[in-house]
Amino acid sequence: MSDPLKIGAALMVLILGTRAAAWGQASKGGTKVFPYKVHQSSLENGLKIVVVPFDSPGLLAYWTVVRTGSRNEIEPGKSGFAHFFEHMMFRGTERYSKDRFNAILKELGAESNAFTTDDYTAYHILAPSSALETVMTIESDRFMNLKYSVEDFKQEAGAVLGEYNKNAANPFYALNEAIRDAAFTRHSYKHSTIGFLRDVKDMPNQYDYSLTFFDRFYRPENCVLLAVGDVDPQKLTALARRYYAPWRKGTYRFQVEKEPPQTEEKRVSVPWPNPTQPYLYIGYHSPAFSTTAIDAPALDVAAQLLFSEAAPLYQKLVVEEQEVDLLFGGASDHRDPYLFEIAARVKKPERVAYVEGAISAALEELRDKPVDAARLGKVKSHMKYSYAMGLDTASAAAGSLAAYLNLAADPEAVNQVYALYDRVTPEDVRNAARKYLVATARTVVTLRHPEDGEAKAGAGAR
Amino acid sequence: MRTASSPFMAALALAFLARPASAASAPQETTMKETPQAAAAGPPRTCLLPSQSSPLVTFRIQIGAGAIDDPPGKEGLNALTALTIGEGGTKELTYREVTDRLYPMAASIGAQPDREVTTFVGEVHRDHLKEFYRLLRDVLLAPRFDPADFGRSRDLLLAQIQTTLRSNDDERLGKEALNLMLYAGQPYGHPDVGTVQGLKSITLEEVRAYYRRQYRRGNVLAGVAGGYPSGLIETLEKDLAELPEGAPEPVKLPAPPPIDGMEILLVDKPAPATAISIGCPIRVTRADKDFYALMVAGSYLGEHRTFNGRLMNIMRADRGLNYGDYAYIENFIQDGGSTFPLPNVPRRQQHFSIWIRPVPPANAPFALRQAVRELQRVVEHGLTKEEFESSRRFLLNYSRLWTQNLSRRLGYLMDSRFYGTGFFLDRVQEELPRLTVEEVNAAVTKHLNARNLKVAIVAAQAAVLRDLLLSGAPTPITYQSPTTREDLLKEDKEIEAYPLPINKETIRVVPARDLFER
Repeated sequence: MSDPLKIGAALMVLILGTRAAAWGQASKGGTKVFPYKVHQSSLENGLKIVVVPFDSPGLLAYWTVVRTGSRNEIEPGKSGFAHFFEHMMFRGTERYSKDRFNAILKELGAESNAFTTDDYTAYHILAPSSALETVMTIESDRFMNLKYSVEDFKQEAGAVLGEYNKNAANPFYALNEAIRDAAFTRHSYKHSTIGFLRDVKDMPNQYDYSLTFFDRFYRPENCVLLAVGDVDPQKLTALARRYYAPWRKGTYRFQVEKEPPQTEEKRVSVPWPNPTQPYLYIGYHSPAFSTTAIDAPALDVAAQLLFSEAAPLYQKLVVEEQEVDLLFGGASDHRDPYLFEIAARVKKPERVAYVEGAISAALEELRDKPVDAARLGKVKSHMKYSYAMGLDTASAAAGSLAAYLNLAADPEAVNQVYALYDRVTPEDVRNAARKYLVATARTVVTLRHPEDGEAKAGAGAR
Repeated sequence: MRTASSPFMAALALAFLARPASAASAPQETTMKETPQAAAAGPPRTCLLPSQSSPLVTFRIQIGAGAIDDPPGKEGLNALTALTIGEGGTKELTYREVTDRLYPMAASIGAQPDREVTTFVGEVHRDHLKEFYRLLRDVLLAPRFDPADFGRSRDLLLAQIQTTLRSNDDERLGKEALNLMLYAGQPYGHPDVGTVQGLKSITLEEVRAYYRRQYRRGNVLAGVAGGYPSGLIETLEKDLAELPEGAPEPVKLPAPPPIDGMEILLVDKPAPATAISIGCPIRVTRADKDFYALMVAGSYLGEHRTFNGRLMNIMRADRGLNYGDYAYIENFIQDGGSTFPLPNVPRRQQHFSIWIRPVPPANAPFALRQAVRELQRVVEHGLTKEEFESSRRFLLNYSRLWTQNLSRRLGYLMDSRFYGTGFFLDRVQEELPRLTVEEVNAAVTKHLNARNLKVAIVAAQAAVLRDLLLSGAPTPITYQSPTTREDLLKEDKEIEAYPLPINKETIRVVPARDLFER
């Protein structure tokens, strides 16, 4: 789905625009929102191959999507392991050591990195198309033959702790950690992708488990090879047969525990050691991604109706009353039910309760009154253009498809879900709000400096 | 490698020793480059990148004014003016009405105020070009200057200093503190967003006056890229001609203050880890031949967010000190979620810097010593032929990735005008193949040093760290997991006792809450 959310990331680089930025082909009614031809095939071992020729002369975005993320960390003490393992994937093989792997990419002038989410881990390389076979040689090698020493394993744990420390100075990470921990009791979404600090600190002792992790999840049936750019699909597919055919299927099966319904509101306070404007972070349990059910798309539309800059609530709190300077919200796509999240940075500590009340009132209105059809039309237009304009590079197109390949293992999922958006009615929005945006399914986290304590928070806002 | 657990997180997931001191830093002799200025009369300047196959149209309307134009005591005036305009209404429409019209198009208008220039970036699908253009025109040429837009913009800028910088982003705080040190008391010496007291003292009338003074025909460079019809440019030029003629005199930049040894500023605040930024002014920009030589050396030491750099490999990969360690030969701002440099932030004066991402507090002195020692090694011994060749090859290909879309290419094209380089990325392709390792090493010796450096450190219990640094005592590394590698253990002994040329007179500790106040 598109990014219905607004966030202050732009503020951090001093690009002060907050009007949504987003390229691509026209996405007029009836045409597919992802307009490029997608070539799909698979190997006997289950590895899916997706190739999208894209107008990026001489450049190729080569991605491997592993459909494993922190969601798969179901064993106690193992939170954060999917992300840690992503780091280990850069530690080399017998054929290509870490230094040799990096030297090859350096020679190509490639951009190479990886990221981990709740649901998947993606490895991406942006390189000259002429280097296709080289890239496939080193990538297939590390996915099949990764090998690292205990020493390397332990040192990488330091880098992960460093990443944790870097994040820990940012209130949003603290808020995200707190809301998951409170809102989830059984499901592995309880912990953030980087994991609990105690588990991050214990990672150096988990070498043996890392071998198990690789054996379980880095298997062809759990991965998708995605290439977008200046590439011949037939050539790439033939090379994939050559380089990835020896990769053997895995046998691991697992079950993520279902989260039981939340029956009462939860409230959590997070003390922040530095003086700060208070933050209000609210999460409502929301449905999993679907290409057939209307609820999740209806909530995405609701997020726009509530939190886009054109939304009455946004205009009230940010523009007219100027009570908050950051306001955004929505449900990010997840394979299992996750949260519809709302965040507000409030200007004055004593106005947190008022702001929470205003948000609650806007949600109540959404539950009570069907939204105006003309407004709904504008939301749908915004979502389509925003998505299409975001497809401005091979990397961006690959990044978008990777998310859908994780969610549904099918690149067509993006077109299916945008077709669903087209079908969302005012009643669908109201029904989804009534079903999901309810107080008993809510977790409220506030983050503030202790000197601005709860006493100053005011009262009477629920 | 990073985590991105939700759009919220993804959105948050957002940077050298023994030369003779006399030769190390002589910025006083610097001949400062003048910002290229258009003729005060005549039509507005344009920078065009038409591409009929593109469904998008990007505008980058640049005003030759930046934070350097903030009057003393009114720091933040440029940013506040830009924001009040870029995030405000027009004479006909309130901000809300502008937003309502932009929304269905998913079009954007954003203000990017920087040190020397301020750029308004707008992007729209060509389906909506006509309507969007009218909005953009009126936002820039007929701003509303609504008191509400002004107040909201000021609050946002104040929050960037008081909440974000001082409290919630230690890495950026370190970089801004370094900037403060490098250009203390000079036009570059305050953040682009201003200072707390500066922002508080600015009136809406001063914003209007600043707009009248700076937003003039001779001070505008209008960039347009994408699938626009030919008539658009004629209209744009005609509209911009409504701006008053002329351009203000460019602000003269004095030479940055000289550096005497290692000058350290410790910024005290509760912090889970210690962020370190190291730097010194250099006398080269993209306009200079030596820039391209330093580009190779900088990339060798620490290309931003890659695994190629020497610092990254010896500090993170070998020792697990932190998440990343990089080096830069010009002011660097990452463009959004990419790893590439943001366009339209050009500067006449540049600085070299090393960015050490947060390290556990106990390892901060070791990390500082290691980075400075490595810089010293490069200054003293230079790059080997192999290191030079591999870094050059890398840059020749990697720099081609910087302009994957027309908007970024347009930004780079405009910056090339600023520096007078011809298209910068073409210049990279011309200069790098001609370089020799000797030229690169000569440029390193000439422009970099590991003795006269400024260092900003964001740390909890900063006074304790100051005393430790002043004691000169060895500061061994504490491994999260002890290493058994003999080569590392041997080198660690040298690093932990590496003598830092700390200037004991200038070292100081400042609470974070006191920074950027005035």
